[in-house]
Amino acid sequence: MNARRVPLYNEYECVERMYKALVNALDPLNLDFEIIFVDDGSVDDTYKIARTLSVADPRLRVIKFRRNYGQTPAMAAGIDNARGKVLVTMDGDLQNDPTDIPRFLSKINEGFDIVVGWRHKRQDKLVSRKIPSKIANWIIGKVTGVPVKDNGCSLKAYRRELIQKIPLYSDMHRFIPAMASLSGARIAEIKVKHHSRVFGESKYGLWRIYKVLIDLLSIKTIVSFASRPLIWFGILSSIAMGASLLAFIYWLMMPVPGPTESLMVIMGVSMLYGCLGLFLLLSGVLCELIYKTGDNKIEDLSKLTIERQS
Amino acid sequence: MSSKIDLSVIIPVTERHDDMEELYREYKSAVEKTGRVFEFLFVLDGPFPDVENQLNALKENGEVLKVIKLAKWFGEATALKIGFENTSGELIMTLPAYQQVDSSELSRLVNLIENQDMIIARRWPRKDSAFNRLQSRVFNFLMRVQTGVELHDLGCSVRVLRRKVINEVQIYGDLHRFLPVLANRYGFKVHEEKTAQSNKDVFQRVYSSGLYVRRLFDILSVMFLIKFTKKPLRFFGLLGMGTIFLGGILTAYLVMERLFFDISLADRPALMISSLFVVLGAQILAIGLIGEIVIFTHSKDLKEYTIEEIIN
Repeated sequence: MNARRVPLYNEYECVERMYKALVNALDPLNLDFEIIFVDDGSVDDTYKIARTLSVADPRLRVIKFRRNYGQTPAMAAGIDNARGKVLVTMDGDLQNDPTDIPRFLSKINEGFDIVVGWRHKRQDKLVSRKIPSKIANWIIGKVTGVPVKDNGCSLKAYRRELIQKIPLYSDMHRFIPAMASLSGARIAEIKVKHHSRVFGESKYGLWRIYKVLIDLLSIKTIVSFASRPLIWFGILSSIAMGASLLAFIYWLMMPVPGPTESLMVIMGVSMLYGCLGLFLLLSGVLCELIYKTGDNKIEDLSKLTIERQS
Repeated sequence: MSSKIDLSVIIPVTERHDDMEELYREYKSAVEKTGRVFEFLFVLDGPFPDVENQLNALKENGEVLKVIKLAKWFGEATALKIGFENTSGELIMTLPAYQQVDSSELSRLVNLIENQDMIIARRWPRKDSAFNRLQSRVFNFLMRVQTGVELHDLGCSVRVLRRKVINEVQIYGDLHRFLPVLANRYGFKVHEEKTAQSNKDVFQRVYSSGLYVRRLFDILSVMFLIKFTKKPLRFFGLLGMGTIFLGGILTAYLVMERLFFDISLADRPALMISSLFVVLGAQILAIGLIGEIVIFTHSKDLKEYTIEEIIN
């Protein structure tokens, strides 16, 4: 059984076309499938249309949110409620093409845990969307160590048991491959078709760039160091300690001050950075404590992939 | 009581309370007008012997009411929570232990819930002193600006809500006051209704200065709860990076002056300030990182969405 889910928000023109495109693509495959539409608190007729469709077709399930929560929660809700062995996620605005789905399924059958789409001929504006996204993907790949060419592509396929255990919160949908790498998931990437948006408008802005950068810092903290935060904070601490040491050496090398001069300032600076180093080190200790008492353990995630590697 | 209860009336009793007997009679006759099967529960937030005596007297007179007594002061949110746990009505009405709104309005409020999840009373027109009105105005204005939820009288604790609201929205500490705001953020339909203020609610209230400070922190904590709970680094990151940026620019400028204009560096007080900024910013960032690790380790319990309906 396969399940695919689509986040919807105020895109009611699309619902029916999306549904038809999905059914047309999936029917020939002779699979037992379900389609999940997640209605992210839309205020127009989206829900009504989806509802009418679901009455006629029991394979179509609709999840309605109480209010608008955004893409990641919509994705999380779809994943939490899906029943298929393989999940395929995609946008609700017809940018992805359902005819790509069979290729995703065969990749999963090859033994990959996650298959990521890559919109290699992207139908978007070059300067405002394609270039920023290229830079973002390059940075994300470098920082997280999971080089995915197109993190922003919603068309992805997962093994359900794995993805349901991966923590998904905040705006993490962009970092699912990185998050999944916590469990040692095997990730494949395939080229997909991409259509320009027919309806609606998408936004990019300064605040969004800030959010991606900050999220990147937190994902780095989590992916690389959540199970051993003391090391991460130790690295940060040693930078501060280095600055402290530099200032101290500078102070040592200064000539003995005359009666009107003072070297208090540089000594003070050295001490300040020394304090920061200590503070950061203690923060690391605090994080060790938090990790120990928390219930999301990376050791548990390792079990998701263990039997397959033997 | 054999028949199923429709409406549970919960009255948390705190420091400020009126004569219980009179209050109960007024509330009861108002609730009777709704035509629903109801129950009364008083939650005493700490020892109030006078209230206890009055309630016992009422009970001896054959009135059906439940009383729960907390051993010490826990705060109104806790009292309400215990009230929710010990009642069974699908509809819940919370009332203050003193008269805030004209009790003849109560049945109207209850009947308004038909298409809503929560009804809150707004005392309007206000009859109390100008000072009271001013402080209430300022407080509610700040809340509106911070949360973007259009509510005008969070100080009024006359509220009618469906049980599903409190099943999803967790309150603790001083958060009971903001229950409507939080409920709204969970996607529940919250409606504010103008209600006549009780004549007994009219006197000058000047709180201790500590209380005003606490209200200010309440506003901050609600803002944080709403905007940044799941992403602490976004909040701390903005503060931290801004501070580091300031310090970094200043430090770079001073180093430049030393390198190219030969202005001494080691004894310039400005260097102290710039370093302080960098250090402070780094600490703020570190706190944000700690927050991220807290959220990650508890992300299993933090469901970010609320589902209204699943079809098929």
